[in-house]
Amino acid sequence: MYNMVEINFIINGSKMTKRIKPSTLLVDFIRDDLKLKGTKVGCMEGECGACTIIIDGTAINSCMYLAININGKNVTTIEGLGTVEKPLDLVQEKMIAHGAIQCGFCTSGVVMTTKAFSEKCKNEDKIPTRDEVKKSLEGHLCRCTGYIKIIDAAEAVYKKQ
Amino acid sequence: MLDFDVISPKTSHELFEVISNSQDKNYRFGAGYTDLINDLNNNLQQNLTVINLAKLNDNNFKAININENGVQIGALVTATQLLENNIIQNNYPVLWEATNSVASGQIRASATIGGNVCQASPSGDMSCALVALKAVCEIIDSKGNIREENISDFFRGVKKTSLKKNEILRSIFVPINISKNIKSGYIKVGTRNSMEIAIASIAYHFQKDEQNNVIDAGYAIGAVAPTIVFTKDACDFILGKNINSLNETDVKQFANLIKKYAKPISDIRASAWYREEVLINLSETILK
Ligand SMILES: Cc1cc2nc3c(=O)[nH]c(=O)nc-3n(C[C@H](O)[C@H](O)[C@H](O)COP(=O)(O)OP(=O)(O)OC[C@H]3O[C@@H](n4cnc5c(N)ncnc54)[C@H](O)[C@@H]3O)c2cc1C
Repeated sequence: MYNMVEINFIINGSKMTKRIKPSTLLVDFIRDDLKLKGTKVGCMEGECGACTIIIDGTAINSCMYLAININGKNVTTIEGLGTVEKPLDLVQEKMIAHGAIQCGFCTSGVVMTTKAFSEKCKNEDKIPTRDEVKKSLEGHLCRCTGYIKIIDAAEAVYKKQ
Repeated sequence: MLDFDVISPKTSHELFEVISNSQDKNYRFGAGYTDLINDLNNNLQQNLTVINLAKLNDNNFKAININENGVQIGALVTATQLLENNIIQNNYPVLWEATNSVASGQIRASATIGGNVCQASPSGDMSCALVALKAVCEIIDSKGNIREENISDFFRGVKKTSLKKNEILRSIFVPINISKNIKSGYIKVGTRNSMEIAIASIAYHFQKDEQNNVIDAGYAIGAVAPTIVFTKDACDFILGKNINSLNETDVKQFANLIKKYAKPISDIRASAWYREEVLINLSETILK
């Protein structure tokens, strides 16, 4: 057993300090220590995107990231966007409006990627083309929808904001 | 379950000290972790220490610096950072396109150029572009000694490099273009469009004079041999020729010279025969 490491970070707006095993993967830390189960474990190889979360504005795969490297950073998971009690985030609203969800397993990842990309586009004051929208979603696998509705939903986000 | 210790040096000084003190240990460097975690998951190790480069605060490792001779790219520069750099996009389209073809946005945000090079995969996209660009690896040891090596020599086999145990890749140097008139790009063929590991790829960077005669040629092939290969004979052949008006025989001859360097294997993604066909067709297409 190796020495535990202390990390300080912000999760969904709240400051937090934890002690963890140095080799803990971020996805396991989020689900098992923080008990935030909205982030999904899919392939654990960086292929499927189900574990996507946002760190300092950038979408990354939490299965390919050491939890200790969030020290000093700002982490957002799907729970940090909207819930049924709080108003939904625009991305979530559009996903629902376009019927872009079936089983829901890939959904939190897709939402996080679209959220990060939409913030980036907003800052650059640009509306991405459909091809750019597709490219932005290349790191996600969805076995239900056939992607069209997901891409439609994402496009609707960029047009609205 | 992954189980290893992690040391996170913050300065070069701390890094060298950690490397020195770890010479009798089993250790790996971790940069963006997009290769390392898969490697470790597939091959669980005991008593492993990961030297975590993610907290290192040293611009020699982290920045893209431009000088009169070329561009020095820190090993820890991520794919996303490269894509956002206008100098790279305008002067080295081959590197920009190769980087844009790596995995997905989430992976590109973490994946570093140094990790791509040190992984020494025959299908490494950024690496393939760097071979065509005749890039030079800047390697530093735990005493601070620096050595430079052409990237083609740095690759020694599948997942093998010339790095010694007490060495680390600090940066990669790409020489400045001698002409503004360039023909440069990257083509990767896979089994689908997104998230694809190449079954064959070509990286080309031709510099031309005003009449379109080639004055400098860089051409590299990926995923068709144990390492990425610089196809020197094909490059020599095309030097001095007008690249916009090559005849059929020249194009065939060029492709044949490339074929010599290919030693493809058959695997689950493609047969050796198919890889070679793709390589030849791609090589001819870019000259037509
Ligand atoms: C789903 C998926 C898709 C992928 N698709 C592609 C693709 O399309 N094209 C492609 O080229 N790659 C692809 N990759 C591979 C990988 O993302 C790249 O090779 C990436 O550039 C590796 O960088 P990293 O920073 O994550 O490296 P790490 O995983 O941190 O390190 C890789 C290796 O290099 C060593 N290392 C890292 N930095 C240094 C250094 N400075 N000095 C010495 N040694 C060092 C590490 O010890 C390790 O052995 C993919 C990976 C995944 C998981």
